[in-house]
Amino acid sequence: MRYTISHTTTYRYSDEVSVSHHLARLKPRQSAGQRCVNCEQAIEPSPAARSEREDYFGNIVTFFAIHTPHEQLKVQARCEIDVTPPTAPPPEQTPPWEQVRDGFEGDPSTETLAAYEFVFDSPLIRTSRTLAEYAAESFPPGRAFLQGVTDLTRRIHGDFIFDAKATTVATPLNEVFESRRGVCQDFAQLQIACLRSLGLPARYVSGYLETRPPPGRPRLAGADASHAWVSVYNPGTGWIDVDPTNNQAPANRHITVAWGRDFSDVSPIRGVILGGGDHAVNVAVDVIALGGEE
Amino acid sequence: MAAAPGALRSHCETFVNSLESLGREELAARWEIARRSIRDNGVTYNVYRDPQGMDRPWELDMIPLLLPPAEWAQIEAALIQRARLLNLVLADIYGPQRLIREGLLPPSLLYANPGFLRPCHGMRVPGDIHLHLHGVDMARSASGQWWVLADRTQSPSGTGYALENRIVLRRSLPEAFRDCQVHRLASFFRAQRETLAALAPAGRNHPQIVLLTPGPYNETYFEHAYLARYLGFPLVEGGDLTVRDRRVFIKTLEGLQPVDVILRRLDDSFCDPLELRADSFLGVAGLVEAARAGNVTIANALGTGVIETPAILAFLPGLCRHLLGEELRLPSVATWWCGQSKELQYVLDHLGELVVKRAFPRDVREPIFGETLSESEKAALADEIRARPYDFVAQEKIALSTAPVWLDHRLEPRSLVVRAYATAARDSYMVMPGALTRVANAPQSTVVSMQSGGGSKDTWVLSNGPVSPVTLLPSAEGPVVLERAPTDLPSRVADNLFWLGRYAERSEGLVRLLRSAASRLTDESGSTDAPELSALLQTMTAMDLLPRRFGERVPLADLEQEILAMIFKQRRQSSLRQTLNQLRQFATVARDRLSIDTWRILNQLHHDVRTPKARVQLDAALALLNRTIMDLAAFSGMEMENMTRGNGWRFLDIGRRLERSVNLVTLVRAALSATNASDAILEPLLEIADSSMTYRRRYYAQARLAPVLDLLLADDGNPRSLAFQVTALAGHIDHLPRPPRAPVPTREQAAITRLQATLREADIKGLCEAQRQGSAAPLDDLLYGFVTELQGLSDTIAHYYFSHAGPQAS
Repeated sequence: MRYTISHTTTYRYSDEVSVSHHLARLKPRQSAGQRCVNCEQAIEPSPAARSEREDYFGNIVTFFAIHTPHEQLKVQARCEIDVTPPTAPPPEQTPPWEQVRDGFEGDPSTETLAAYEFVFDSPLIRTSRTLAEYAAESFPPGRAFLQGVTDLTRRIHGDFIFDAKATTVATPLNEVFESRRGVCQDFAQLQIACLRSLGLPARYVSGYLETRPPPGRPRLAGADASHAWVSVYNPGTGWIDVDPTNNQAPANRHITVAWGRDFSDVSPIRGVILGGGDHAVNVAVDVIALGGEE
Repeated sequence: MAAAPGALRSHCETFVNSLESLGREELAARWEIARRSIRDNGVTYNVYRDPQGMDRPWELDMIPLLLPPAEWAQIEAALIQRARLLNLVLADIYGPQRLIREGLLPPSLLYANPGFLRPCHGMRVPGDIHLHLHGVDMARSASGQWWVLADRTQSPSGTGYALENRIVLRRSLPEAFRDCQVHRLASFFRAQRETLAALAPAGRNHPQIVLLTPGPYNETYFEHAYLARYLGFPLVEGGDLTVRDRRVFIKTLEGLQPVDVILRRLDDSFCDPLELRADSFLGVAGLVEAARAGNVTIANALGTGVIETPAILAFLPGLCRHLLGEELRLPSVATWWCGQSKELQYVLDHLGELVVKRAFPRDVREPIFGETLSESEKAALADEIRARPYDFVAQEKIALSTAPVWLDHRLEPRSLVVRAYATAARDSYMVMPGALTRVANAPQSTVVSMQSGGGSKDTWVLSNGPVSPVTLLPSAEGPVVLERAPTDLPSRVADNLFWLGRYAERSEGLVRLLRSAASRLTDESGSTDAPELSALLQTMTAMDLLPRRFGERVPLADLEQEILAMIFKQRRQSSLRQTLNQLRQFATVARDRLSIDTWRILNQLHHDVRTPKARVQLDAALALLNRTIMDLAAFSGMEMENMTRGNGWRFLDIGRRLERSVNLVTLVRAALSATNASDAILEPLLEIADSSMTYRRRYYAQARLAPVLDLLLADDGNPRSLAFQVTALAGHIDHLPRPPRAPVPTREQAAITRLQATLREADIKGLCEAQRQGSAAPLDDLLYGFVTELQGLSDTIAHYYFSHAGPQAS
């Protein structure tokens, strides 16, 4: 399936910003299931310095700095991308979850090491006994790993209410857990915290989800948004995505941009500005399917 | 590596003989002087959460720790080995990570470690040196064996305190110091400086090196300011630096100047809010990217905190064999990291005998001594460990050896820990021939830390032969050794004294102005259109001290209220009360520099203007203003007669002279423009500038514009004139401590020379005549030029001498 994605972020500042530095993670990473055909980023005002590199997790990150005074910053990312649906193993054929948990110590292979990193606490995700207890219901002894993950995904989807007003980027996980409300970012981080609390590897994925209008209605421009979900590591077959917000295993309507330990590793635009006063942000995302195999 | 008992004894004997020859009384007297000099030098250590607040005086013991040559030689070799080893470990962690793949370091030690900074992975560092300065906490067990307790790898503190200890002790016990043949410390600092300069990004011939501090609230801020001046590096906070086009610059009045090397005292994760902790207000946005681009050298490199965890201690012997092909020379205290299953089990089985610590402490935490726990406390701790095993380490409890401490004229044994240092030097490391020795705060205590209130000792590394003297003269590359003459003044203190001087003068100027108005209001029987009062009010309006409507005729009652508000109102901008409050604040932070009598006067000032209970009449307020002038005069008398003429006094007086100049010129300028140089304002001007008597004596006549201005601006015989202040400032500026390679003349000297020339050449009589004939601009331009130049001078001084977080006063 081929998509064109346009992601425009506009910051408007009440006072002039004299200098700003930013990190953007807006270019989708290449992977087995994803191939970027065409990818570009336009930044206004024009940056004085700009460089691109791969970060620690292999995401594409753009550093840019603006030295001219400005009251508005517009970052426009566009890309065209081919997505091949991932193939996940049948859940019942995955190993018992305890085996996944215990398989890290003493295995120095690159792939295992890379997965092991996602078992530990990260800046926004701290494991806890409460979360381990919540998660344990989905992981009775001996249950196949992916069956447990699927069940946990279903439970989070059922137990938590999507509520865009309940949380902000800064709301800590335990509050999300208590209020049982949040958005995709909260649910993804919550599920990751649950899995890590049991010693299981899980990472945070940021990207896009193609949304389809109700039958017979036209697509609204800019109606889409960034999305976030979870990826778990199944030894042998590798990483498998699950989406607690929609209770599904992402097929080819999910487009991955970046992954990391939590949101702080992958936030689409991060910046430090000098001046600026108050600011307002506007984000417009369009994910348009151009066709191809479903 | 136990010390040979014979050698130790003979060295001790030398020292003890030397002390005994002085006698107890002489010792006690000298020690009192030493303690005072520590206080006077403002040597402090901030203890977080200390109910007594910030700036606790540094505690130094009179008896140094003596380390004989043979014992030291072994320690030195071991420390060089350890620093080389840790540098290689860091290079691997932030590079290929072979140690993890080859099983020499458990991956979890990295992954669970918040000190592992992923954005810094893969970054090249100049000379492959991550660890520029290494601090090692060591203890000696009762048998004489040395053990490493901890490594300090991000920005080890204490070298400055070690130096200060040395300077104090050497001055107090010069005979013993000479007899014992003690190694000097200066060579270490010189090596540190040379290495930093050599590691500047390629092609920078005279690299700009700065010392980056988190600011005055940091526990070791004193040391940052101290080292900055000693090493000759500007002391900067994150806000003084900026990144442009992936290069680091320091913000100066002349624009941005490139920075090549940053010696940082800021923790890793706070250094860059863009790539590291987003909530850091102390760092520099874009610093990581600048380092990544190879445009700045950061010492120690970012991310070096990853190996500060005690969890790594257990792996060092294996790492040493693997990386250096040698046995580790200095053992670490036995350590079990609970992030491994076998070790976890051992710790849980032996909780009662071990000391439990956090593996990755987020804040200051006391170690837990298992032996002091009840059964239920032990169970609770075990639970906590099981829940997050990799967050804990346990260590063997070692019996620390003690050393005698001088307390109330007698000696008492205390446990001690020595922090030794190695600095990168010429492809290897050089160890400081000395150390910071810290002692426990109570006889039985085994916790040794400055945060828990212990004291310190100088550490004497003894030599077998005579020690070659290290020259104290500045070398060709600039001074490495601080002169302990009165030039030495912590920049923070200089800053506060400067503002103390400015606010004392600002208060006086304001009181005199208010008094002029109040006295005319009370005796000129109730009319605001008496010419002098009216001219004064117009002037005050022009100075934004009074709302605009007071430039016209207003009801007398309104005016009285307004003047009272200017005296008593706390929240009114530039009210007398607010100004005196600020004066007191600066006095409070510079308190150790002020005599008790001075402090008393300041207290009196502060109390006078607190809002009175009953409504005050204007005549009572006038009496208060008179009293305030007396108090302020007493304060300046104390300052002139009782303060040592060191740099502290100098900065105080610079502040006072600058403020007086700015006030005077601002007042004159406002008076002339608001009243169109009316004769009615001349008498009040003389009065406010405290020059009425002088004028009478010179001219025996009614005040006239030209002679008044000549007296106030150009007459250098009048101690209140601008010319007098400028001459005094020129004298001070010539005596200010010079940074190495400062341009000659300095910017301050250039500014003051311009001021003097302008004053000398000004044709005041001619300008006044022009003013009389309706051409006010030339005189006003002259005055405006003075204000601009004076303010520029103030900024230059503030920026150069105390460019840390200076107060936001103006």
